[in-house]
Amino acid sequence: MSVEVVDGRQVTVTRAGTGPPLLYLHGLADVHSALPPEPPTPLLDGLATGAEVVAPALPGYAGSDPLAPRSDVEDCTFHLADLLGALRLDRVDVVGASLGGWLAAELALRHPTRIRRLVLVAPLGLDVPDARGELFFGAAAPRGVGGLGEVRGVLFADPDGAVALETLPDDLPHDRALRWFGGLAGAAALGWTAPQLCNPKLGGRLARIGAPTLLVWGGRDRVVPVAQAETWRTGLPEARLEVVDGAGHALGLEDPARVGAMVQAFLH
Amino acid sequence: MNFFFFHLMPWPYLPPPREFLREHEAAWVTLSNAEYDPVRGAALYERYINELAGAEALGFDGIVVNEHHQNAYGIMPSPNLIAAALSQRTERIRICVLGNALPLYNPPVRVAEEFAMLDAMTHGRLIAGLVVGGGPEYYSYNINPTEARGRFREAVDLVVRAWTEPGPFSFDGEWYHLPYVNPWPRPLQQPHPPVWIPGLGSPSTIDFCAERGFGYMGVAYYAPPETFARQASRYWEAVERSGRPAVPENLGWLTTVYVGDTDEEARAEALPHLAYFAGNLAAGFVGQGKVWMPPGYIDAEALVQFLDDLRASADRRRDGPAALFQAYPMVGSVETVRERLLEFVLRHRIGTVLALLSFGSLPADLAQRSAERYAREVVPWVRERAAAAFAASATPSVELP
Repeated sequence: MSVEVVDGRQVTVTRAGTGPPLLYLHGLADVHSALPPEPPTPLLDGLATGAEVVAPALPGYAGSDPLAPRSDVEDCTFHLADLLGALRLDRVDVVGASLGGWLAAELALRHPTRIRRLVLVAPLGLDVPDARGELFFGAAAPRGVGGLGEVRGVLFADPDGAVALETLPDDLPHDRALRWFGGLAGAAALGWTAPQLCNPKLGGRLARIGAPTLLVWGGRDRVVPVAQAETWRTGLPEARLEVVDGAGHALGLEDPARVGAMVQAFLH
Repeated sequence: MNFFFFHLMPWPYLPPPREFLREHEAAWVTLSNAEYDPVRGAALYERYINELAGAEALGFDGIVVNEHHQNAYGIMPSPNLIAAALSQRTERIRICVLGNALPLYNPPVRVAEEFAMLDAMTHGRLIAGLVVGGGPEYYSYNINPTEARGRFREAVDLVVRAWTEPGPFSFDGEWYHLPYVNPWPRPLQQPHPPVWIPGLGSPSTIDFCAERGFGYMGVAYYAPPETFARQASRYWEAVERSGRPAVPENLGWLTTVYVGDTDEEARAEALPHLAYFAGNLAAGFVGQGKVWMPPGYIDAEALVQFLDDLRASADRRRDGPAALFQAYPMVGSVETVRERLLEFVLRHRIGTVLALLSFGSLPADLAQRSAERYAREVVPWVRERAAAAFAASATPSVELP
């Protein structure tokens, strides 16, 4: 892990592999959130065969400074563009999952020339009134005694499975609890106000995304139901959809091999 | 020395704690208002307003009401309405609204206006409480919790300026932009009513109160005594740094009081209703069940500490009811409550005691009897001794226990 400074703000960055640059923007439950700081996830390791993966922690997550007060998703998109500049990454592939998928889409529509190919894994960001997911921040409110079962239930297809319990155990150790709740505050700063975790204007702007796009979705996603995928697919100029049937919202942790293979096949 | 009667206006008709927590995650945010019975509710408002109005005849210095939304913890989403009713039922007693949750009002000038009205209607008896609002309210009112502190601080400035600076003036803040701030009426008390701010112990809130000359009202439900001790010493240290006079009444402490014939009788009578408060009404806020404490409302360090404290208090509860009485509630005979209260008041130089006397599911007759004993036999005794001690030492001496 390294620390970059962008416009006076610290950004925690995890890197892996060598090859053409790949920007990975993490999600609600992912590298940089409740998992221990090292090593990178199996998904990132997989993507790192054949690419130089650069995975910044979004503002508020894992030691990355929050944005200035009153910042919104547009400021966060400027921040990510500035980060690419600071890292001298002129043109990249972008893989964004969940919260990071939303930001990847916002980045792609504003900087079409800087993004070669785009992968959105269960992206947040779109308001689809007929297919809204569970209220994430409500689910993320912990039990005073007994933990995080409810948020595991919306993030993972199998909330009592090994991956879910390793990612968000009820007795989250102190340092990881700080990462988890700090990250939630970062997400809340961008998307607390209902409709949660989306930009109502994004749907009308999807046609501006020039990069060929792969959509990857968990068939049992409760945060952004797979029924939203069709709105993305038809709104994007060039997109196709792959569904991982048994997976939930955190499909990059739940089935890294399949998600990784889909992404690799699309990028290379 | 101030002795205030604090009312949360609790909803007392939920099933007992164990049963309640089996069926519901919290008394906040998601507890269905189908549980609220309008006929019983109307009778409760009458009872609770009578209890507050009756505090004047009992000799209390003040009565306190507060604002919470969408829960069974208190059926008082608008404390200003209750304060307005009380302004017409009382003549001498101070009325404290503790307080209005500024980030929930847009623009917060509304609070400056309503408090000025209440100050006029009480002929200058208002104490104006300004609060951030509880964590659950950020879910219920869809207000971004990461903006809570910024909005609150700025709104405090806006309200104080609206009271003190001739209007119209324009207010250009980070959160609020108002070209014409010019509230009618202005407060009767000049330059403005006393401002009190309650807190759960956040150091920045304590320092802010001391620097601005505001009262700090510490809330430490079920916490061990050290929790309030830390708040008190921090407050007096900050007052000393500010160069302002140390006014004991500016440090308040919220406690639950029940006075019975004997210690044993008092404990037996109070226990189910304390347990109802802790197990039912606080569930979702500062108790068991789901914790509606949103991300960014306090920083991650404070949130994790808060959850650790909750777990520790749950562990203490497992030790049985004795743990419930250990430090926080003042429950016992007249003699016991006198001595414990005086000791705590002197140790932390607390000039304002905010007593919850009609708490949880406590029936009206028990609440009345206990409040009378407290007012007639405890308060005068503690008042006399505390006043003498405070007069003898002009500067606070704060010691940790």
